Amino acid sequence: MSKLTSNDYLMLAGSFHGMHAITAQLSPIPPARPPPLSTANPATTLQTFPVHATGIEVLESSHFRIQCFQTQTGVKFLLFTEPQQPNVDTMIKKIYELYADYVMKNPFYTVEMPIRCEKFDRGLDGFVKVRG
Amino acid sequence: MVLYSFYIFDRHTECIYSRRWTPARPTSSSSKSAARPQSGASIASNNGDVVAAVRKGMSHSDDEKLVFGLVFSLRNLVTKLGGADDTFLSYRTGEYKLHYYETPTRMKFVMLTDTKVINLRQYLHQIWANLYVEYVVKNPLAPVEHPGGIGVANELFERGLEAFITAVLPV
Repeated sequence: MSKLTSNDYLMLAGSFHGMHAITAQLSPIPPARPPPLSTANPATTLQTFPVHATGIEVLESSHFRIQCFQTQTGVKFLLFTEPQQPNVDTMIKKIYELYADYVMKNPFYTVEMPIRCEKFDRGLDGFVKVRG
Repeated sequence: MVLYSFYIFDRHTECIYSRRWTPARPTSSSSKSAARPQSGASIASNNGDVVAAVRKGMSHSDDEKLVFGLVFSLRNLVTKLGGADDTFLSYRTGEYKLHYYETPTRMKFVMLTDTKVINLRQYLHQIWANLYVEYVVKNPLAPVEHPGGIGVANELFERGLEAFITAVLPV
């Protein structure tokens, strides 16, 4: 992976947001509804809750793979891996847990600001090193 | 395997061939469909479980432009991140998967399928080598460029594509 300036990363991130939205819009089929709960009455409001198409989840190129995970609140996690890396899905969920624990529960962190939490950095480093 | 659509774009960013197997949306009154030799035929066995898409007010040609813009930006993103020798292969969402193949002459082949398909890059390459080159490029009556898709959707190419899809593509 080539090293880019932070301005380039901002530009790529911005265009990725747009592309993510377009991929959701291009979906040729309506999104699958989650299976209804067996105990719930099928006529309940759960069924009429709108389901949105997801955008890019995995992008593959010949040199790397991007796994994208979007939370319910619209935060996107991008994980760049080798093309052969297994279990990226669970890894990114684990990183989401680290984010929830060390960033969102940090009282000094203001939301939607760059993350500067030492504990999150250390947790992420430790998590990745164990896998690597 | 379920196929949703297939597009060919030339190096002038124009969609010279497009084909879709999902039912047309009710509002898609494409005014260009008369000018462009498109095939409205559909493989009935493929779209049995596919319902009409939810988007409204988007015509077929809008889709083509969106797809082109998207693969163009994704290709640029990939080359910027991975270096000049890196190529964009495919992406997957929760609903579908897009496969991409680009020839050295910057022609782009794009196919939308369901999510469980392996990468179709080599099959797209075969479509280019065995069908497009044979039936379109080597056709003496076809123009060199294909403005508006003239000369691409000829009978041999259509039939070859149909046979390729049913016979060669992995089930």
